[in-house]
Amino acid sequence: MPIWLELLVLLLVAYAAGIGIGWAIWGRAG
Amino acid sequence: MMQLIEANWPLLVLALAIGLLVAWWVFSASRRTQVLRDETADSGEAARRNHALIDAPPVAAQGEAPPPASDASDLARIKGVGPKLIAQLHELGVTRIAQVAQWDAAEIARIDAQLGRFAGRIERDDWVGQARLLETGDTAGFEDQFGKL
Repeated sequence: MPIWLELLVLLLVAYAAGIGIGWAIWGRAG
Repeated sequence: MMQLIEANWPLLVLALAIGLLVAWWVFSASRRTQVLRDETADSGEAARRNHALIDAPPVAAQGEAPPPASDASDLARIKGVGPKLIAQLHELGVTRIAQVAQWDAAEIARIDAQLGRFAGRIERDDWVGQARLLETGDTAGFEDQFGKL
C-alpha cells in the first residue's frame, strides 16, 4: 500500500471521527 | 503506521477539526426551528394589550360566531406541529388542542415516547403552554410568547 494512500485513509478516519464527535455533541439531543 | 501518524499529526488534527466543524454546521443548522422566547422582556406592554382586549366588545357580539375551536385541523395551530405530527397524534387519540392543554408530565412522557423522530418536540416547542394560551383564546399572550399566529 503506497504511503499516500495510508495517509489518506488516516485523514478520512480522523475526519469521520470529528463528525462522529460532533454528532454526539450537537446531533443527538435535537 | 505509527511513524506516519507521528509525522503527520498536525494534518490529522486538522482533519478532525474540519470534521467537527462540518458536524457542528450540519447538526446545529437542522435545529434552527426552535421557538425562541425572550424571558427578559417587560410584560407591561402585554398587560396593556390584554387589558385592551378585555375592554373590547367580544368578537361573538360583533357578528357571526367564530368557528368551533375544536375542528380536525385544530392541532395545526400549535407552532412546530405539522401534518406528519398531526397524523401521528391522531393515531394516539389526540385530536384537539383542549387535550394537549391538559397534559401533565406523565402524559407528556407517554406521548413523547411514541413520537419517534419527533421525540422531544413537546417540551422543546412548549406544546402545552401554547395549547393553554390557544384554549383560553389569549391571542395577545400567545403572540407575545410564541410569535404571530
